[in-house]
Amino acid sequence: MTLNRRTFLGTTAAVLAAPMVKAQAAPRVVVVGGGAGGATAARYVAKDSKGAIDVTLIEPSRSYYTCFFSNLYLGGFKQMDELGHTYGGLAAGGVNVVHDWATGVDRDAKTVALAGGGRVPYDKLILSPGIDFVDGAVQGWDLSAQNAMPHAYKAGSQTELLKAQLMAMPQGGTYAMVAPPNPYRCPPGPYERVSMVAHYLKINNPTAKIIVADPKGKFSKMALFQEGWNKHYAGMIDWVGSDFGGDVVEVDPKAMTVSIDGEVTKVDVCNVIPAMKAGMIAHAAGVTDGKWAPVNAADMSSKADPDIHVLGDASQQGDMPKSGFSANSQAKVCANAVRGALTGSKVFPARFSNTCWSLIETNDGVKVGATYQATEEKIAKVDGFISETGESADLREATYLESEGWYAGITADMFGAKA
Amino acid sequence: MARAAPLIAAVLLAAAPALASEWTEAEVASVAAEAGLDPAALLLPGDSDYGAYLAGECTACHQASGSYDGIPVITGWDPVPFKLAMHEYRSGARAHPVMSMIAAGLGDEEIAALAAYFATLDD
Repeated sequence: MTLNRRTFLGTTAAVLAAPMVKAQAAPRVVVVGGGAGGATAARYVAKDSKGAIDVTLIEPSRSYYTCFFSNLYLGGFKQMDELGHTYGGLAAGGVNVVHDWATGVDRDAKTVALAGGGRVPYDKLILSPGIDFVDGAVQGWDLSAQNAMPHAYKAGSQTELLKAQLMAMPQGGTYAMVAPPNPYRCPPGPYERVSMVAHYLKINNPTAKIIVADPKGKFSKMALFQEGWNKHYAGMIDWVGSDFGGDVVEVDPKAMTVSIDGEVTKVDVCNVIPAMKAGMIAHAAGVTDGKWAPVNAADMSSKADPDIHVLGDASQQGDMPKSGFSANSQAKVCANAVRGALTGSKVFPARFSNTCWSLIETNDGVKVGATYQATEEKIAKVDGFISETGESADLREATYLESEGWYAGITADMFGAKA
Repeated sequence: MARAAPLIAAVLLAAAPALASEWTEAEVASVAAEAGLDPAALLLPGDSDYGAYLAGECTACHQASGSYDGIPVITGWDPVPFKLAMHEYRSGARAHPVMSMIAAGLGDEEIAALAAYFATLDD
């Protein structure tokens, strides 16, 4: 094939005059991770470059389950298949989708190693691996305990397992959550989850209790959640923050006990959400500094390597929360910059935004959002808003319906419109 | 600025007739006066390439396909009412926490660019 191509090119005088390497190959962008950051970046680079760039997406899962809205599955508002998305839309959009694990990056050779063997060469590499958990973050818990005490913070089988355990709770039983320290994926996520678990229990197991051990003294949308918990789930939820020993926690997955500040409780379900760090490949690529990968705000390029960009949860960028919305926003800035670097297309100034909706109870939705700009130092917040306590039921319902619209919108933006 | 408006409108018509507004100058002047806006802001032609980039901020919620699932459809709008709506979010005449925040970050040129781009997408 190479011979044919060379023979063909060799017959064209105009091409002979050009450097052979450039004439032969379109620049290559490799994206690792097919979530809100990676799928969006791959789709936008392919869509906007119109074939001028070869785009490969490396993602092990054939069906991707969004972490956002997975709490609504726990509450019974969504079916698991509504959260699942395949990569056919990206493939149709010109992205070469490879279902494999990226295991390493050779930054000198500019190749990504695959678990299935082989190496994928790149000119620009975009890493969007999401999160992994910090070893030893919760005493007594490690990944081998994820069946007894699920994290359910990567959506899919873990979420289904947690739901099955919730449904199997004895009447009057106890659901415990160990909440994560900052920074972590989806700041309101654990508290929306508490709300959705409470919603399920209120209907199916009204004498059950929820205990939350939290290493923090405050959390995202705290006033809104606490108002909602008092209004809808009075007496069911016991949130123990760091002021009351919520940061001194040990679990025993065999005995199914949780110790909070020395007080041991036998529980029926224990949802352990450990401290987080950038996904493995970011560490393997050597672009992390501690737990996260520092990036330049203007284009999401790694501070360690100008040909590697890091998106979403794995990046350390400044003021944006680690959310699917943020990753999607960062991906478009990155795609524009990468395309400009490889094809000379116009690069527009970075602009970022984020909005996070949370559901507290049926038709009781709240939201928080902000816009951001790139500074030399970081992605810096410009402006923001948050829902207020005491809002009308109509407004809360409208906010929830808006979140449904957003889910359809962002997943279409990530994976392409559904056929 | 007002004197430049007809010229701009004429250029817009000549350059991209398919994207030109169906609004007459008199209609634009009338809605601009009602909204307390400079009519030039509503007649300003937009760079749809810039709009395509800026649209990334919109399509996290509003679907580029024009589908509706709870977030308003913004594809296929005539550029004039599109610009009018965005200017009203920016001025506070229309209120919505997300839209007011997004519009606050957009200048006249950005609003015109978005209007030009979304007009090219079928609804």
